[in-house]
Amino acid sequence: MLAQNLLNGLMAGWIYILVALGLTLVLSIVGIVQLAHGEIYMVGAYIVYYFCVSAGLNFFLSLLISILCVGFLGVILEKFFLRPFRDDVEGAIISTIALILILQTAIVAIAGVSYKDIPSPIQGVVKVFGAVLSWERLITILVSIVLVSALLIFITKTKIGQAMVAVSEDRVAAALQGINVNRVSSVAMFLGCALAAAAGGLTGAIFDVTPFIGGFALMKGIEVIILGGLGSIPGAIIGGLILGFIDGLVTPLLSVQLAGIIGLVVIILILLFRPQGLLGHE
Amino acid sequence: MNKRRLLKALSYTVPIVILLIVPLYIKQPYVLHVLIMMGVNIVLASSLRFIATSGQFSLGHAGMVSIGAYTSALLVMRLGLSFWGALPLAGLAAMGIAFLAGYPFVRLKGIYFTMVTLFFTEVIKLTGEEWRGLTGGVAGIIAIPRPNAIIVPGLLNLGFTSKADFYYLALTLVVVTLVLLYAIESSRIGMTFLSIKQSEPLSESVGVNTSRFRVLAFSIGCFFAGLDGAFYSHYLSAVAPASFGFLLSIYVFIYMVVGGMQKFSGPIVGAILLTLVPELSRGAKEYEPFTFAGILLLVIFFLRGGVVSLPERLSKIIKKEVWLRLKSAG
Repeated sequence: MLAQNLLNGLMAGWIYILVALGLTLVLSIVGIVQLAHGEIYMVGAYIVYYFCVSAGLNFFLSLLISILCVGFLGVILEKFFLRPFRDDVEGAIISTIALILILQTAIVAIAGVSYKDIPSPIQGVVKVFGAVLSWERLITILVSIVLVSALLIFITKTKIGQAMVAVSEDRVAAALQGINVNRVSSVAMFLGCALAAAAGGLTGAIFDVTPFIGGFALMKGIEVIILGGLGSIPGAIIGGLILGFIDGLVTPLLSVQLAGIIGLVVIILILLFRPQGLLGHE
Repeated sequence: MNKRRLLKALSYTVPIVILLIVPLYIKQPYVLHVLIMMGVNIVLASSLRFIATSGQFSLGHAGMVSIGAYTSALLVMRLGLSFWGALPLAGLAAMGIAFLAGYPFVRLKGIYFTMVTLFFTEVIKLTGEEWRGLTGGVAGIIAIPRPNAIIVPGLLNLGFTSKADFYYLALTLVVVTLVLLYAIESSRIGMTFLSIKQSEPLSESVGVNTSRFRVLAFSIGCFFAGLDGAFYSHYLSAVAPASFGFLLSIYVFIYMVVGGMQKFSGPIVGAILLTLVPELSRGAKEYEPFTFAGILLLVIFFLRGGVVSLPERLSKIIKKEVWLRLKSAG
């Protein structure tokens, strides 16, 4: 039992990490808390559903298509809804709230409010030291780790990745060095939305998909980046794992609600002593 | 009293008198219900704007409404308190919790404060679902009694059996809220809030304890949200954790922004107009958020000052037009 709960926690943790990394990328480079990030995640899950179930494609191919589609959707959204409000907290809150309503209602109009179920890519279980672990959860963790590693390599090894780091440190100085800030913002939004779509598609294979799953993902994403430190990638990974284990271990022992409360109380306590989060800096 | 002050006093009295006699002529419960909901939303949007005058955006209003609603329902049903005693206590409960939660978090600035208020609403909702012994869990509390009757022989007979009686209560709540908020906003405290909004370091440098004032603004705003919640729960006679979710906080925020945040009248106008939107689009309930999003985008891109800035904008455009005409005429 414990091994399964640990695995569930690990899986939840990696999903939270995917969502949180997207949020933190957009936050540190575009400079906006993307409140509609949860809806991007939800749209990602629906695209996987349509390609997988309606078009009958392979799950992983559908996931790839979804990641690309949602990435490009993100680029368009960034240009029209986020870029005009870069230095304007009030405007950014309002336009991202409008995005939440638009995306959610659009999906309700297209797909309806009924539960959708994405068939899991791999059935069956594997036995490790007597513990029964399901393949779909292991695959989810594996895919997430691959995606996060790819992101880390992209940021550290490529020129545009380094440009992203520069812009997140100081936008004006980066622009003065000849970095095209708008292009970097588009790339950041593409990556952020792609990660959210991956998280949505992977979760959709395990849990039900409805137009209203975005709120939960957004909450968890924000919790993780606040816990780990805003703009910190290692912080987001640690924060995601902590929250994932809290949810994975407390839920079966007590209840979903208590898991949520404990997670939030931990964050509130950490914020009291370290307002910048675990690995953040002022 | 000179003529101008008389006129000013009249301009406040006339609408109130009109609002007072409305139930004598309009008997349809549906219309009265819409008017009551307008009142509820005006209180929420105005108190949210009050918090915003100190430069903070809260997405935690729904949580505060639910604290008020539960406090009042429980005080009346468990402790047998009169509604009239429970109402201010519900406001104070929301204020107290806002104060306790606000103090540690004022060091978080801007968007981070907003996000913490969002968490806070979530904690309150989850607590409501979990603490079944007190709150009735997900199902909530039902059969909340009506407010106790007020009967003054020959003058007043409010039994709260009809919508009209609730209408009067809502009207009182709105008037009291607006008068108090306006008084605070135009006092020295209100000026301090404004200075914090414009520049926090500058206010600090002239000796303003900015965190204390920011907590004060947050707590006062939440007090009225709590009052509103108490009214709401006794009006609908039921309360559940799901009734005050994230979406309510967002809608209140939209009322404030669409009406206009710069002026005191903004959230009032916004709440009145946008309470009508769902009523006018009854046939397409699921597409209602589209309408809200559309209005929001129009405001943010073309009318930043909100609906209340429209007359000013129009007069400016007309003046410019007239000026151009005169110029071209010679």
